[in-house]
Amino acid sequence: MKNRKDKIAEAKRVSGADACVECGRCVAACPMAEMYANFSIEMSPRGIIKKTLIGDPVVEDKNIWYCTECNAGTDTCPQKVSCRDLIRKLREAAVDENLLENAKTCKCCGRAFVAIPVEDFVFARLKDEPPNVFGVLDICPPCRREIYLLRNA
Amino acid sequence: MTEQQTTEKPIAEQDFSLNLDDLRPRHAEKRHLSDYFMPRRHSFILFHPDRCTGCGACEMICSTRNVEKVAPVSASVKVVRDEKEGKNFSILCQHCRKPLCLPACPTRAIEKGDDGIVRIDKLFCTECGLCTMACPAAAPIKDPGSQEIHKCDLCEGDPLCVKHCPENALTFTRGKAFRWIKGLRWTSQLISFLLLVMVFIGTFCYFRTGSVSFACPTGTLQNIASSGTVVLVSVSSALAILILTVVAGRLFCGWICPFGFVLDLVDKITPKKLGWPSFLKSRMTKYGVLAGAVGGSYALGFQVFCTVCPIGTLCRSYGVQSFFKSAELAIIPALASLEIAQRRSWCRYFCPVGAVLGLTALLRLIKIVIGAKRCKKFSCIQCAEVCPVGIIDADKLREGLSPKIPMTECIMCMRCIDRCPYDAAKIRFRWQKAVPGEGRI
Repeated sequence: MKNRKDKIAEAKRVSGADACVECGRCVAACPMAEMYANFSIEMSPRGIIKKTLIGDPVVEDKNIWYCTECNAGTDTCPQKVSCRDLIRKLREAAVDENLLENAKTCKCCGRAFVAIPVEDFVFARLKDEPPNVFGVLDICPPCRREIYLLRNA
Repeated sequence: MTEQQTTEKPIAEQDFSLNLDDLRPRHAEKRHLSDYFMPRRHSFILFHPDRCTGCGACEMICSTRNVEKVAPVSASVKVVRDEKEGKNFSILCQHCRKPLCLPACPTRAIEKGDDGIVRIDKLFCTECGLCTMACPAAAPIKDPGSQEIHKCDLCEGDPLCVKHCPENALTFTRGKAFRWIKGLRWTSQLISFLLLVMVFIGTFCYFRTGSVSFACPTGTLQNIASSGTVVLVSVSSALAILILTVVAGRLFCGWICPFGFVLDLVDKITPKKLGWPSFLKSRMTKYGVLAGAVGGSYALGFQVFCTVCPIGTLCRSYGVQSFFKSAELAIIPALASLEIAQRRSWCRYFCPVGAVLGLTALLRLIKIVIGAKRCKKFSCIQCAEVCPVGIIDADKLREGLSPKIPMTECIMCMRCIDRCPYDAAKIRFRWQKAVPGEGRI
């Protein structure tokens, strides 16, 4: 069992976070700015990379749960730092430590599959649509496909 | 930011930031003149689960288009297999009429084209996967290797998976070309309107030539209540329409009723509905109106409802005009104006003629079934939209279950059967258990 320090070190290694030059291109490309009204340096990819590098307690931070794990930041980074991989590894570390209050678990398989702030965003976007009786957002996509199969085949 | 605000604030405090609406405005749906007469028929891929063997040929051929190598994980279609139940299903994008992925996308990379195909613009897609999160079938698939999102775009009108399916489990169609029930129903309504209102004046209420006679069942009930005597001829002549109802459901309401024809015409000129107050939303009201009409006739000694009946008024309207008659005619625009609240509001909630036919329809021989396994459920729901009396449970369909249609309320206009592109809505005998797509029929 790896401890937290090892996990953060691995996250840094996988994402290449040490190479970050804090240019802020990832912040400019980040869709979170459009998604959340309270977008700030704390939740931006640059802020999270910086916090990880200076050794702040980032695993129990709520701000790592706003990311949609998209590819925009990685695409624009001049140093090829993958903020997605970093946040993914940090979330994995948080899930390993049972810090699940910001992660949504699937009703069927129990896997943590989406972050609560991201889910809230999708809910807010879909609130004008007809009431979703299927309970789509409670079930992870693979389980959803399984249910779809059992109902329809 | 509105004009007013910009004039009030000094320039230093003004917000000049651009948001997504300025950068990428939503693509407005273009409406052609023909859309008002006939809905557009978009192409779609239909999947037949009973033919699928789960071989995965569709996945393989699809991946060659996405990544130019055979790698089923990079396909836009996902074959889900359940070995225990022996079921296979290939999950495809359904190209919903109102896609849920479209509002969920934070960068507006998803758009529905005029040809009905929902496309992901690779230039704007950030591969976040929120479309997969919003889709009820989780049809946009994340490639585990390159992390790209792949979604079916119907190969721009020439799908490879359909060509390469060895069992023909996938078919590519555009649905029905000609909706003949629609034309038949409007013709029938027009002819019966002309006959009942202009040729055989007042014949719907009571009509007799020689041994042939016909009477309105609600009028007959009131007649019996008011006079206290049962005239066998009038009862037997009222039976004609009841027998029609037993055999074919409330066909009278949808195909013959002249006031229903007026309501359908009014509906054509009032496409926007205001909604009906929920405390009045009881379909039992019409049975109350019927009981009130019969009871009132018994108490007052004349046929109470017949004096204000819109059908009767309409049938008696053409002819000698007197002041009383024109005052009586005011009931027709008054009740037709209910149409701005909901379609066929009068028929749904109040009509006592419909109430008698509804009670008779308890002895019905036929029913309408909608097989949710054959149709596309949440992506379509056209049947619930076209139903003039609103008895098709759209929430049930969204869940993927076949809705039960209360035949006492159904006016047998057959709009659902006409509209369904997947042949899932059918007329069946009452005792037939199977619905389309679920077992043998």
